[in-house]
Amino acid sequence: MPKTLPAVNALRERSAHAIVRAIADAAERWHDADFPPRVRAQAAIEARTGFAIPVIEYALDRLFGSLQVRALHTAVEAEVGSLAALDGPVERYGMRVHARGVDTAVIVGSDTTIGVALVPAIYALIAKCRVVVKDRDDGLIGAFFETLIEEEPAFADAAHAEIWHGGNDPREARLFASAQTIVVFGSDATIEAVRLGASTATRIVAFGHRASAGYIRRSDLSGDTMALAERIARDALLYDGSGCMSLHVLFVESEGAEATAFARILAGALDRAAIEFPPGRLAAGSAASHAAARDLAAFRAASGAGTLITAPTAQASLIVDPPRDSPPPLAARIVPIFPVTSADEAADYLRAHRLPLEALALADTDHYLALGEVARAGGAVRITRFGEMQSPPAGAHHGGEPCIMPFIRWIDVER
Amino acid sequence: MHARFDASSMSEPEEAAVLDARILAAIQAPKTLDFDALARDLFAYQIRYNEPYAAYARSKGYDAGHLPRRPIDIPAVPAAAFKEAALATFDVARAAAMFETSGTTVGTSGRHYLATTELYTASLLAGFERAMLADGAALRYLLLVPDPREKPTSSLGFMMAAVSKRFGDGRTGWFLHDDGLDLDRFMRDLASACDAGVPVCIAATAFAFVALLDGLAAGERRFTLPAGSRIMETGGFKGRSRVVERSDLYTAISQRLGLPESSIVAEYGMTELCSQYYDSAGSRSADRRVKIAPPWLRPIVVDIDGNECPPGVIGALRHIDCANRSSVIAIETEDLGYASGDGIVLLGRDVGAELRGCSLDAEDLARR
Repeated sequence: MPKTLPAVNALRERSAHAIVRAIADAAERWHDADFPPRVRAQAAIEARTGFAIPVIEYALDRLFGSLQVRALHTAVEAEVGSLAALDGPVERYGMRVHARGVDTAVIVGSDTTIGVALVPAIYALIAKCRVVVKDRDDGLIGAFFETLIEEEPAFADAAHAEIWHGGNDPREARLFASAQTIVVFGSDATIEAVRLGASTATRIVAFGHRASAGYIRRSDLSGDTMALAERIARDALLYDGSGCMSLHVLFVESEGAEATAFARILAGALDRAAIEFPPGRLAAGSAASHAAARDLAAFRAASGAGTLITAPTAQASLIVDPPRDSPPPLAARIVPIFPVTSADEAADYLRAHRLPLEALALADTDHYLALGEVARAGGAVRITRFGEMQSPPAGAHHGGEPCIMPFIRWIDVER
Repeated sequence: MHARFDASSMSEPEEAAVLDARILAAIQAPKTLDFDALARDLFAYQIRYNEPYAAYARSKGYDAGHLPRRPIDIPAVPAAAFKEAALATFDVARAAAMFETSGTTVGTSGRHYLATTELYTASLLAGFERAMLADGAALRYLLLVPDPREKPTSSLGFMMAAVSKRFGDGRTGWFLHDDGLDLDRFMRDLASACDAGVPVCIAATAFAFVALLDGLAAGERRFTLPAGSRIMETGGFKGRSRVVERSDLYTAISQRLGLPESSIVAEYGMTELCSQYYDSAGSRSADRRVKIAPPWLRPIVVDIDGNECPPGVIGALRHIDCANRSSVIAIETEDLGYASGDGIVLLGRDVGAELRGCSLDAEDLARR
């Protein structure tokens, strides 16, 4: 981590629009699959995560494709009214207000899939903060920051990404103590450690581990189930189910036989999707968890409880009607499918196991009003369509949090 | 495996008695053990009388007419299956003992029913004696594990009661209760043993040791255990609020209780098993401790498809325990390890688990 941060932050002298422009330009270079730093980063990400290269390419395309001028403008304007408010006082409510970025923001990206920590870092930079990112071993954020600096040298004062491990380094404690905002992705233990190390005045935005669910209404099963399955397959398969926006639980409003029939269609869709997004290399622990969940399902199925369906190309297992007195398996490439009679039953299950949800996917988000109880039961902050779970739009409120506001202190200049 | 045991004309009790005799003979004279044959015969017996296991075996293509050729082919039930079904070869209403799991699986407890405690007792005593009492020491047992009089469903409590009764000096102390650790009485009894120069065996879970060390540190108490004393540490920190690296724990125990780290022996067992692993004597001073099974228990390290991993390659641990006569012989776990020499190196569940994503996992959820 940096021994000291530059005293002067030249980014403060740039307009927010110029910063956004430079970010978008850098992102455009990274959107090119042949851009050498991206090629190197892909290899490093593959080594770290074991994800298949097409999956990593998809993630990077999504990430950098979303960092466009218009999208960033829209997200910032939605929260602070205008980019100009980041540059200095603007007229509003009969006074002048300045959305001034805090001096130092720290992003702890210990448990993100691919580059998720980059998004808050980008918004912190738009707010003209000095940003220190605790990067993953693949160094993706640091590599992107180098491109940013090429685009606009003033980023050299503000954009820092370092790789360090453990939480006992006194420099980390000093860094946390000096930050006005800390964004932390990680386990409950990681978040708690950050809270303990931060000053009481520090704003902490925590993104803990979460799961995501899907709900299929009875009427959805009378439509094009093949197309529906194709969409769900992508949600379940990407990142081997290791993201908080991966499909971890699927509720199917049906009798058991209908759910099993749909599971068979989904298994086929998973195998077809695996051609585009091949399964990655699982770490030993993930493999053991997968095997345990799969074999437990096989054990139950042998005694007539539930059904196990495998998708060999996807190396995935679908478990229909898993035990209700246990949480879902939450294992890589395992799709538990719960037949339910109503949304209330799904909500009861989520509540019983205190399953914290990030996203809830539906065949059509217009159904949200009818299914809001399911979302509320898990505390879901994102309602999306099947097929879009892993592709949140730019400006999305990840974890239910705003994008740029955590890095802003409003200064009101009264008349 | 070669056929040499015809059970076709036997009743279940007769067959069980014959198998028990073979297992007890193997425990008492391991050189006589033909592991593969005994494992095969146990499996054949179990699928005759343990219907849930038989159904699972059939789903894997095995039945009385098609038995596994090798131990690795014996269908292993995941440990969590013990909460799904009564995995027993007998009517569990007649169980001599029932032990409940805690922590190995998430959610409700699993139950391991035993038709007789004779095999379990014989296996655990022989295993303990081989690993912990090779010098024939007579020790006083100070136990920070559940007292079976208070918690009869604790297999660890049962085990240490049997050990202390068989090998102890008659002054066994139990210091872990539902309301916590009885630290004052422990310190008093330990001081008494130290004053009398009586070597002790302190057995505790890793978590209980952390509580003990915290208590001793708070009182600024240190001991120097009498020569010949030893410690048996077992279990982990799953679901607990504070996790300590095992090497740090051993260093702290060594410093606070005044005995060499090589006198601290880790036991690895499961409620679902009747036999246990212990650190090999030769590895107790090494960075990586190797766990050794008694001859009637065989570990197999497997990959996601159940294929055996080569030595040094990390996989999930599967256990084939011939002392599990009345339940299931082969158990699959999520514990990770690798084969090393004639033993295994146990890595627990979090090895190399720098998470690659922000997804919740089962252990996260259990901690909430």
